[in-house]
Amino acid sequence: MSTTALLTTLQFAGVNALFALAIYASLRTGVLSLAPVFFGAVSAFTFGYTAGTVGLSVPLALVVGVGLGAAMGAVTAVLIIRLDSHYLAMATIAMVLIGRVLIINLVEYTGGPTGTLVPGDLGTWAWLIGSLVVACYVMSRLAGSRYGLAADAVREDPAVAQTLAISPRRIQFVGFVISGALGGAAGIFQASFLQYIGPDTFYTHLGFVTLAAVVLGGAFHWAGPVVGAIAFTLLPELLREPMGEYDRVVTGVLLVIIIIYMPRGLVDVRRLRLLRSRGRRRAVDDDATPTPTDRDTTPAQVTT
Amino acid sequence: MTVLGERDDVTGPSGPAAVDITHLTKAFGGLTAVDDVTISVPERRIHGILGPNGAGKTTVLNMISGFITADSGTIEVFGHDVARMPPFKIARRGVARTYQNIRLFPGMTVLETVVAGAYLQRRSTILSALLLSPAERRERREVREQAAELLDRVGVRADHGTLAETLSYGDQRRVEIARALATNPRVLLLDEPTAGMNDAESEAVGRLLVELQASGLTLILIEHNMRLVEQFCESVTVMSSGAVLAQGAPTWCLEQDDVKEAYFGKRSDAARIATLRRARRGPSGS
Repeated sequence: MSTTALLTTLQFAGVNALFALAIYASLRTGVLSLAPVFFGAVSAFTFGYTAGTVGLSVPLALVVGVGLGAAMGAVTAVLIIRLDSHYLAMATIAMVLIGRVLIINLVEYTGGPTGTLVPGDLGTWAWLIGSLVVACYVMSRLAGSRYGLAADAVREDPAVAQTLAISPRRIQFVGFVISGALGGAAGIFQASFLQYIGPDTFYTHLGFVTLAAVVLGGAFHWAGPVVGAIAFTLLPELLREPMGEYDRVVTGVLLVIIIIYMPRGLVDVRRLRLLRSRGRRRAVDDDATPTPTDRDTTPAQVTT
Repeated sequence: MTVLGERDDVTGPSGPAAVDITHLTKAFGGLTAVDDVTISVPERRIHGILGPNGAGKTTVLNMISGFITADSGTIEVFGHDVARMPPFKIARRGVARTYQNIRLFPGMTVLETVVAGAYLQRRSTILSALLLSPAERRERREVREQAAELLDRVGVRADHGTLAETLSYGDQRRVEIARALATNPRVLLLDEPTAGMNDAESEAVGRLLVELQASGLTLILIEHNMRLVEQFCESVTVMSSGAVLAQGAPTWCLEQDDVKEAYFGKRSDAARIATLRRARRGPSGS
């Protein structure tokens, strides 16, 4: 694999990582959603239109695009959050399908079936790494925050979360807004790298690939989607040369192995904590004296 | 259903009602799980709900905390009707609870579990978390310290960094109590808080209840350990098949024939069983 090809792949890995973080943002509130692909499409075409046709400055167009993504996230949440889990997931897939129809028919803004050209100003390493760093910073700050712990609670047991005064709908709404902003940003960077976007740029394939990246990378820590996206964008490309047409077989087998042996993904905080807990317990047991629980039973038996 | 015995010669405080339940009814399909139940628990009282399995005790607790909606009847918490409220709003009115089947959050450490319970007390916004505001960081530190204190108070000695789900059964129950207390409740509902604990541990839970009561809490607990009930509950409601059999002081309630019958079966049954046993033992010689 040539260096240029590797660098291009890495750039797409970075964009996929942003998409994966967008999916993670709603998944951590217990909502499986492919809507980030739709948010990405809306923001990317808006970016193309405002920066290209209207002539807005590129950074301003980026802000407008990301803001619109967040707004779309909010609207989506209001409309579909009341649905039950799998129906909600299906509704977000439907959004991706509807998005394609819209792109094809809004010819004036999107170029219709032929697509449209997008300024490539944001297609640089600095912008990509910068945005990834910002996204990771946001996710890591949220992790221990009031919102973050509430989101974890809602995801693990929404009923119990409610008895802690947490409103699941509200948490999921916020999750959708963050997901919208991240999805919007991912769409804009994708568009800026490709410099051309059409009806098939943001379609179901992108959703499933990034969802797989989240699940395999680890859906319980923000680093999981990033690791997953980079690993599973890079891997097929690296395998292509030595494996020829069998690269997909190898990728598939690897996925199955990960699903079987690491069901919580590559980045699994729970596993680490479990190992650490065991280590501590062993350390405690080593210098343990007879515990009080041992004594509780014996006197009773003696007296009878 | 008729309330067969009701007496209020209880020893505990008897101020205005913290939880006031009237004519509460809930049916699941053809089964009436809770049938016209009326219970009034004054502030700062330790009230027990007793009864054999399937009596509808947990269903009552589930209706107070909003897990399930009553078919009819009212539930007032400090004078506010909560019968049709979603659980998180009831929680905001100061009702917290624990569960018969422990429900801790998988993957969370002991400390995180309790900090998650402090949601209502934390005021910081997402923006303040992102901007590293000093107030948000102070709040993070404070809720962690407070959670550690609560864990000490309920008697969890395990390392706070361990996964809550790996703790012993008793410790998991205590972590659940700490998580409920982190919401800073006025009413605490406990569903079999001592299940799976030995006598010493149960006794410790009993002392904790008294301590919590002294700090101003009203406690309603479902409990099977009669010694604990007689020692710590000031009043009890005995339920059977969804209805209230007796209400009042624990010792008085437990002496009632209907209550004994609900727990141990009819006297005539007992006599028949004894005869059968004797008959079976007879031929083999004893």
